[in-house]
Amino acid sequence: MNDLKYVGKPSVRIDGKEKISGATRYTDDLEFGPNLHFAAIVESTEAHAKILSIDTTEAENFPGVVSVFTGKDFPFKFGLYMKDRYIFAMDTVHYVGQQIAAIVARDIKTAQKAAKLVKVEYKPLPAIFDQMEALKEDAIIIHPDLGEYPHVPWFFPQANTNIAHWRKTRRGSITKGFEDADYILEDTYTVPRYAHCPLETHVAVGLCDLSGRLTIWASSQSPHTQRNLFAESLAPLGFTHKDVRVIAPPIGGGFGGKAGVSMEILAAAIATKVRGNPVKIIWSREQEFYNTSQRLGVIAKLKIGVKNDGTFTAIDHKLYWDTGASAEYGANVVNAVGLSAIGPYRFHNISIDSVCLYTNLPPCGAYRGFGYSEFMFGLESHINRIADHLKIDAVEIRKINAIKENDTLAYGVPMNPNGLIECIDKVTKEIEWGKEVKSENPNIKIGKGFSLIWKAPAMPPNASSAAFLKFSEDGSINILVSGMDMGQGYLTVMAQIAAEILAVPITKIRTENPDTDRNPYEWQTVASHVTWSCGNAVRKAAIDAREQIFDVVSRTLYLPKDMLFLEDEKVKCKTKPSFELPLKDFVINGIQAEDSTFKGGPIMGHGIFMPEYTSADSDPETSQGGHPNVHYTVGAAAITLEVDKDSGEMHIRKAVEAIDVGKAINPSLVKGQITGGLLQGLATVLYEDMRFDDKGKMLNPNFTDYKIPTAKDVPDEIVPIIVEVPQPDGPFGARGVGEHTMIPAAPMIANAVNDALGIRIKSMPITKEKVALENLKKKEKINV
Amino acid sequence: MAILNDFKYYKPQEINETLQLLSEFKENAKILAGGTDLIVHLKEDLVKTENVIDIKGITQLNKIDISKDNIFLGSGVTFTEIIESPELKDKLPILWEASKKVASIGIRNRATVVGNICSAVPSLDSAPALLVYDAEIVVQSKNGKRNISIHNWFTGPKQTILKPEELVLGINIPITIHAGVYEKLGRYRGEDLAQAGIGIFVDEIKNYRFAYCAVGPVPKRMKKLEDFLQGKEISDKLLEEAAELIPNEISPISDIRSSKEYRIHMMKVMFKRGLQESVVILKGGRS
Amino acid sequence: MKKIILKINGELRSVYVEPEEILLDVLREKLGVKSPKCGCDRGDCGACAVLLNGRSVRSCLVLAIETDGQEIVTVEGISKDGLNKVQNTMLDKNAFQCGFCAPGMIISTTELIEKNPHPNLEEIKEALSGNLCRCTGYLPILESVQEATKEEHHE
Repeated sequence: MNDLKYVGKPSVRIDGKEKISGATRYTDDLEFGPNLHFAAIVESTEAHAKILSIDTTEAENFPGVVSVFTGKDFPFKFGLYMKDRYIFAMDTVHYVGQQIAAIVARDIKTAQKAAKLVKVEYKPLPAIFDQMEALKEDAIIIHPDLGEYPHVPWFFPQANTNIAHWRKTRRGSITKGFEDADYILEDTYTVPRYAHCPLETHVAVGLCDLSGRLTIWASSQSPHTQRNLFAESLAPLGFTHKDVRVIAPPIGGGFGGKAGVSMEILAAAIATKVRGNPVKIIWSREQEFYNTSQRLGVIAKLKIGVKNDGTFTAIDHKLYWDTGASAEYGANVVNAVGLSAIGPYRFHNISIDSVCLYTNLPPCGAYRGFGYSEFMFGLESHINRIADHLKIDAVEIRKINAIKENDTLAYGVPMNPNGLIECIDKVTKEIEWGKEVKSENPNIKIGKGFSLIWKAPAMPPNASSAAFLKFSEDGSINILVSGMDMGQGYLTVMAQIAAEILAVPITKIRTENPDTDRNPYEWQTVASHVTWSCGNAVRKAAIDAREQIFDVVSRTLYLPKDMLFLEDEKVKCKTKPSFELPLKDFVINGIQAEDSTFKGGPIMGHGIFMPEYTSADSDPETSQGGHPNVHYTVGAAAITLEVDKDSGEMHIRKAVEAIDVGKAINPSLVKGQITGGLLQGLATVLYEDMRFDDKGKMLNPNFTDYKIPTAKDVPDEIVPIIVEVPQPDGPFGARGVGEHTMIPAAPMIANAVNDALGIRIKSMPITKEKVALENLKKKEKINV
Repeated sequence: MAILNDFKYYKPQEINETLQLLSEFKENAKILAGGTDLIVHLKEDLVKTENVIDIKGITQLNKIDISKDNIFLGSGVTFTEIIESPELKDKLPILWEASKKVASIGIRNRATVVGNICSAVPSLDSAPALLVYDAEIVVQSKNGKRNISIHNWFTGPKQTILKPEELVLGINIPITIHAGVYEKLGRYRGEDLAQAGIGIFVDEIKNYRFAYCAVGPVPKRMKKLEDFLQGKEISDKLLEEAAELIPNEISPISDIRSSKEYRIHMMKVMFKRGLQESVVILKGGRS
Repeated sequence: MKKIILKINGELRSVYVEPEEILLDVLREKLGVKSPKCGCDRGDCGACAVLLNGRSVRSCLVLAIETDGQEIVTVEGISKDGLNKVQNTMLDKNAFQCGFCAPGMIISTTELIEKNPHPNLEEIKEALSGNLCRCTGYLPILESVQEATKEEHHE
């Protein structure tokens, strides 16, 4: 492994020059010619209401308007894991902002002016904005047809309630576990909704040409899944997969918000009716906030039992999730957590109830971390409190209970190889855990916070990746895959893997952006799984190509196949050192044999990867019996935090984060994920604060009042640490890392604030205002 | 987002030309300087107008005049121009500091101080400094010129005493020997609208002047606080006592940016820290 | 409609605009200059930043008609003859991820270095604080600018 030439190197990303020179063409940069139309969307102003009438007459007659569409034009359901949403609202609206109608015109101003002329009459219904309200016996049922919605077999919607899904995990006996405990701590932790805030808003262009061929260009993490959902939902109009093509240009950030399908289906649907002309829909920043998927909110009730020596004896974790008006994606977040809400710890007695509840707020879906940031906030805070009570060091108690390879996971499967202890040890050393730090400034108190990290990809059991690989006459390579480089560096990593197998430098390798016609299948770029899954597919494609290369060389030039190897873009032979044949000489044109005929031809590899050991089939009452997750990536992190005791302002002096990535194919890109992810995590706990009014309208859908950090808000120092305990079925041992890096942020802050000021805050965000006012309350209590 | 409202655009080169247009259009015209407020309002349909008058072509408005006793900031002067003037840093340190805390460089390169006071949002950063400096605004219409004291300028949230046919020429600020700071409460270190702001002025004969923004419907001086401290030597004990007067001087609200309690608490904190720092600066040090 | 003439990246160009048309939209849709991006449409994020007469401005808050007779520079102009030193350092350090904020960051950096060839870290942070980035956590961008602008010590 130590003579790797391309894998393991901090190579410059292959799309770097394009991005830095301003040459990258994102979806809104593409030109579609003078026939480009635009659609403006009319949105619901009610959170829950029957639509009594939609009067579009004035809009239709507005000069320049080409067409007007409402729900009746597309009465089709769609959804990723459950089909519970319509393209446009039908007779009921379920959240403020839900699309009701679309106005199409040749210029955006006309469309927007006409959109204001659409008159909607509503009959308001009681609305629910809190998941605990949704759970009540007498709560209004938001989806009365829940019992009829098609869904994946591993979801358990409860008909005639607002429970879209309920994942129950049971192992051992918590009754006995709590009996055995010397100390039990029970409490509730609250995490609100969050917005992804990619710099590029959602945008989609649909073109249905006059032959019935439907093409969609979309800023998307999931072109193949989108094609699938478009074809399924538009089937009543006569479309099948063969008619639908999705092209995914580079995207300006995704973070899960551009996974699955949200507004893109509007462009696809409208295009089918505006034949021959491309139609663009681009979301404003406001719409990006309230009408794309949000991160689910959760109220987590956690009870843990522990012995005096720090060993955990039982966990009862009840999580109530607010998934908004649609659960088609959000329910899988709830599912994933239902299987993993024990954290990276050894528990023998487990009860997890992860309940997905509908509310009349915007639909929620995939967000970097997929439920793990949400439950780890509570869990890692709770463990610190237990440690405090038992007078055991917060890191020590985690080491005592840390999950090891082959320990049993909550759903009964053994834990994969992992470097959790190594991560813990390296982090505690780097942050100088246990060493107190004081500030010269009398207003500043300093505390340290620690948290573990873990997450597994949450995917259906048949999520797969595929790759084609082909050469050109100059010996360069095109890799055709359908994963999306949303900044994480996926294109570069695929190139590095192929480079290593085929001995071609990455400067001569192009990884092409997805086009569902030309590039083979990729389930979605989510779950931090494409380095592992698609990396395996690319590796196989490269090996396939290498096989063909050795085959034609060996049979044409009579060299022993098992002695051939590739080096510096040439085929060489161990038993004939003088032999070297440049790849470019034959990878298109074949090798000329003694009789002047040519053998071989274009070298093209293909590879697919689908884990054949995962299964979502398990006992619905206990979740035992299946193998739902492929593997977990683990890590540890710590911060040294300065807190101004009067203003509550928090500033991080130093953050350390260690992740076991199995193999860092590109260490520079892994460090990029650690730095970027950590700051995104810190943003959710320190600054981002989503507010709704009492009618379900989002009050701060802009960067003025929904704060994401600037360059002035960065920690003084971030130390990324890469740990490598190989993943047995990963390409060169690699495992995913993209989401994990944000997970420890919120609990570290909660724990560090507690260390610095002795106050424990159990709800997010932990803003400076909250800290200041809590600290005041504490001072007042002492003075009284 | 396109601007859905159509309007005519004028770019006068002379003040008289502008006054003529204003007397003709009155409320139906908006002055465009930096545009960092106006363009947002036009896009979001908060403002409708048929005429936009761009004053950036009027050279008399684009100047900073520094004389022995007075500084004149023309209506076209941007926050960046204030920040880049070493003389203004020296002579108007409170306004200079406030300018640095407005938004970000990309906004400061366009946004003007006069535009800021014309917007009259309760959180405007330039007001506390102008209030403690007893600034005067020079306006002109076809009927003549007048000076309006900053203390009479703000008549309500987003409302000023300026008449529709009047053009602001600039702001006069008397020069005094003093030290001071502008403390601003934001949600983090990056740019933010003030949730509370205090301008603090101290001079060698123990005159103290304080003015707030964002914690009342209009920015104002804090007279009770000034009267209490007048002539006194600052000590920790005195600061604690003085801080208790603050809740009576201000009337903050709770909104999505901050709660009333936190705003009151932080006004006290910023007052104490800001006044201590101002005294240090006056004595020749810098913390 | 009014015809305006402006110099864009060194080239004189003329275009017809209505008074209410926004500079960002005119650059992107009528003049084919795609590097400035629309991130928020109200001046909060800096993705639309261009140099107007040498100063960084939010092109989403400028009417195109205001720029008649003036000079605009975008990243296309800065990169015309190849990447400059700061850009090359950013490339080598993998400073950007999705790249959407990159044009705005480079505009802010260009303005900074023109005025201040060897800025310290605080000055760099201040100059870039008006450009939001969601991917990188800013540190690799700040490090790139620091490294590219540090004083050369000649032996």
